[in-house]
Amino acid sequence: MSTTSEAYPGDANPTEYTPLIDQNIGIMRRFFRGRKWYGTEWYITVFGGFILVAVLLTTVLAPVLAPHDPNSFIGAPFTPPGGGLLAVIARQGESPIGPSDSIDGQSIGTTRNSNGATWTKELGIGRQRYNEEEETIAALQNGEVDLILVEERQVEELLASNPDFEVIQEGLGRRYIAGTDNLGRDIESRLIWGARTILGVAVISALFSSLIGIPLGLTSAFIGGKLDKGLSLAMDSIYSFPGLLLAVALAAMLGPSVVNVTIAISVVYIPTFYRVTRGQVLSIRENMYVEAARSLGAKRSAILFRYISPNVIPSVVVVFSLNIADAILTAAGLSFIGLGLPPDIPDWGYDLNKGHSFLVAGHWWMITFPGILITLVAAGFSLLGEGLSEILNPRLVKG
Amino acid sequence: MRETLYSIRNLTVDYHTRLGNLRAVDNVSLDIQRGEILGLVGESGCGKSTLGKALLRMIQDPGEISNGELWFNGLGRNWYDGSNLMDLSDAQMREVRGKSISMIFQDPMTSLNPVQKIVDHLTETIQTHEPTVSNKAARARANELVVRLGIRDERINDYPHQLSGGMRQRVMIALALSLNSDLIIADEATTSLDVIVEAQFLDILRNLCVEFDLTILLITHNIGIVAQMANRVAVMYAGRLAELGEVHDVFKRTLHPYADGLLKAVPNILMDEDELYKMEGSPPNLIAPPPGCRFHPRCPRVMEICSQRVPPLVEQGEQHYTACWLYEDSLESEEVAAS
Amino acid sequence: MSTGLRRYVVVRLLLTIPMLLILVTLVFFVLRIIPGDPALAVLREGASEEQLQSFRVATGLDQPLHVQYLEFLGGLLRLDFGESMTRNVPVIDEIKTFFPATVELALAAMMVTTTVGILFGVYAAHHRKKASDYGIRISSIILYSIPIFWLGLMLQMIVGAKFGWLPVSGRLSAGNTPEETITGLYTIDAILTLNWDLFVDAVRHLILPAVTLGLVLAGIFIRLTRANMLGVLEQDYITAGRARGLRERVLVYKHGLRNAAIPIVTLLGLQVALLLAGAILTETTFSWPGLGRLVVDRIYDRDFTTLQGSIIFFALIVALVSLLVDVLYGFLDPRIRY
Repeated sequence: MSTTSEAYPGDANPTEYTPLIDQNIGIMRRFFRGRKWYGTEWYITVFGGFILVAVLLTTVLAPVLAPHDPNSFIGAPFTPPGGGLLAVIARQGESPIGPSDSIDGQSIGTTRNSNGATWTKELGIGRQRYNEEEETIAALQNGEVDLILVEERQVEELLASNPDFEVIQEGLGRRYIAGTDNLGRDIESRLIWGARTILGVAVISALFSSLIGIPLGLTSAFIGGKLDKGLSLAMDSIYSFPGLLLAVALAAMLGPSVVNVTIAISVVYIPTFYRVTRGQVLSIRENMYVEAARSLGAKRSAILFRYISPNVIPSVVVVFSLNIADAILTAAGLSFIGLGLPPDIPDWGYDLNKGHSFLVAGHWWMITFPGILITLVAAGFSLLGEGLSEILNPRLVKG
Repeated sequence: MRETLYSIRNLTVDYHTRLGNLRAVDNVSLDIQRGEILGLVGESGCGKSTLGKALLRMIQDPGEISNGELWFNGLGRNWYDGSNLMDLSDAQMREVRGKSISMIFQDPMTSLNPVQKIVDHLTETIQTHEPTVSNKAARARANELVVRLGIRDERINDYPHQLSGGMRQRVMIALALSLNSDLIIADEATTSLDVIVEAQFLDILRNLCVEFDLTILLITHNIGIVAQMANRVAVMYAGRLAELGEVHDVFKRTLHPYADGLLKAVPNILMDEDELYKMEGSPPNLIAPPPGCRFHPRCPRVMEICSQRVPPLVEQGEQHYTACWLYEDSLESEEVAAS
Repeated sequence: MSTGLRRYVVVRLLLTIPMLLILVTLVFFVLRIIPGDPALAVLREGASEEQLQSFRVATGLDQPLHVQYLEFLGGLLRLDFGESMTRNVPVIDEIKTFFPATVELALAAMMVTTTVGILFGVYAAHHRKKASDYGIRISSIILYSIPIFWLGLMLQMIVGAKFGWLPVSGRLSAGNTPEETITGLYTIDAILTLNWDLFVDAVRHLILPAVTLGLVLAGIFIRLTRANMLGVLEQDYITAGRARGLRERVLVYKHGLRNAAIPIVTLLGLQVALLLAGAILTETTFSWPGLGRLVVDRIYDRDFTTLQGSIIFFALIVALVSLLVDVLYGFLDPRIRY
């Protein structure tokens, strides 16, 4: 046995110390440093932030991004996604126009309530309307008209059963990427404009909740005593009550309007902000350094600002983000029951409500897209809140 | 000289933190002798607790034992006696824990499962390592242990929160003894106890040590305890050994300036206020430690070489080691000549 | 019951009473802040003034507010929730008819939530910071972000309509009625009367709604379980156990879970509140004749006594379950029991 008595190799040169936390690096580098620091949480937060930015952009740029007016009945009802494009069909060799001619001026056969009908009506092109698809086709067969408009997706089948027809032109009209709803409104536009609605309602109600809940929490925790006890009891009662139920009750009684729905939702979340704020203030007040500050004569307001606020703010930000996610779901829920916004405002929840009845007929696209978007946005805000929570309230590195 | 129970060779423990790699234990070699009470002292953060955990291979993410050999000789009773514990698989290591090497932790309240009765703590440990023991036999053994440690046997069916702090700590000892461990590591075991309870605890420990021929590694920042209890003492600083030797020698003829400061810093009631000793500076950042001897920025007797090269741990007297350039005159002059 | 536990239960009971009072008052006032005339809302335009007035008298709306309030409270104590404004039945009867369906749905959903939640939550905690942990966490957030009704619709569409494996609405197939109604829960009743066909039918109808509601709530439950388990696994006694050579699996599932189970039990109380809220949406989607559906239907009718009664009943149930859960907690945690 013995302990070594040779010099430790490699220690001959003094170690270079490069600080990892350098105060002089810019925001962008700090942002990317975050990835190394926080690992996966960073990715999660950034993803959430990305969703937030995307939704904000959609909200602001809605008029520019949306191809159509979300409230106008421009298409045929129940056009499936990707549908809407039209083809001009004629009898073989008998077409009055060529592939590149305009159909304007021709008398063209269309079916009522089809995309062809709405489109030609819009453009003011003269046409013959038939009640049923079969009638239109028959009209072409028996020479009543020389041209008919059909949906592109029907072309193949049509040509198969009528080999004497030929396609003259294709790609006319509009393609509805997400299809149309039961009234012929473009779903894509409704989705884009709906972002504005849902974000507006969620954010504003979150703002209301926080503007009421936070000051109440602060005062309650600071003043303490009977006020605190009473207020806590009241808030706990509301908090323990199923949120959606309360929102339902409020919305039912107030009536459908943007303001009312926002108010209904914000009442539900006031206790959350209250509790978080109050909890934070109380726990920080207990901390030694606040006691120390007071013993040194610091003023109450100074304590509030310098010690408590910096600790409360991160929690509030996290709750705010999670609140928005929850508010989105509650708002959608209200709309689904029928208690939401008036019908002239594009709203994802409303679309889900309407789409429900038509699911049986197989029109799946009316509910699929709004649902995916609601999930995406709500998840985005939740992830943002979660990620921020891990970052702003760091857990001590163990060891 | 006694036999070696546990021989630690070149142990290095690293923690991979966000800020960089923290070397908590840096190339430490140490032998624990059979039957002794070895005190391991140092400030908070010097690596002594980490060393203790490493002996049981209980270092967890983000830490790891990057290097070293842990030669556990034991008493020849088990199949792994004489092997390098680093070679054992996880499952095999589990056999060692609690059986040959036991650990007593700092806070007895949180170290016991609040929803488990005392007796169950003990029987579980016994039956995990000796599955053939029946419930009845295990309970009998548990009872015996508890009584021997001075706890009334009806308390054995209580939950941890119903016992006092001192009693809980005795339960911890009982757990450590339940399988007749060769080595007991007491990691700051008395830090959370008040002075009287602490004295009782140490008494028990000392008696048991004699009665069962135990070997104890006493990890503490309290030098007073070491003075009372230990045969030998190892002083750690910033992950390295500063001084090692018989308690008597180290206290009387302190070699390392840090150990010296440590001893001087203990106040006694006869001192005047202005005589209170204060060591300069603060413990180093272990992610980017000072070059050379880690104590050099604070050392009152620092020399030029101290900031350039790490002093090796060298025997300076009878079983008395220190790692300090003050005592390496021969090497120093060689270096000077070479440069 | 030891004195410690007794005191704990009494305190909880005493706290519940003011909470209930506040809730009930809140509901009372909320339902009376409608702008406009409730009589008009129910009887619609075209009703004569006499009709409106007789309606008001019949429903007590002509009394001053504080009188209404006192009568309301009095009625509650007698478990009299008043009479429906649009149908001539006591509200309590309507509740009795529809509530068992909601209970059945809630219990089934709770089974789904608890199983999924505990399984994945504990696993994630055990494998912290590994890929599976992050995967589970993200999935749980996404799960909770899915609108309940949308998930229901999707399941209806895929499982029901497209593949036809399971029925998509109602509690039983058309023409199938239970012989005896003992508990009102068709599945239990079917077992009790040894009617296996009925049992199978009831279960088949229960699956989709229960899975819908259960999965979405599992999103939260997974995260809460995980957080609790993490907290427990960090505790010193786990490390101490490891130092004694106990196996990881024993540490996590026996020691860890037993300690984490206690706060997880209180989470069940939280779950009930969420379940009842989610029930409204689920019942609407699946045409499940429960209390939630009743609420939605009556909203259109503006039958606000029934609304009021139902909502208060919900609140009472939530409060009761909360109380029970807290008492259960007291039993489970030896620190409170002794």
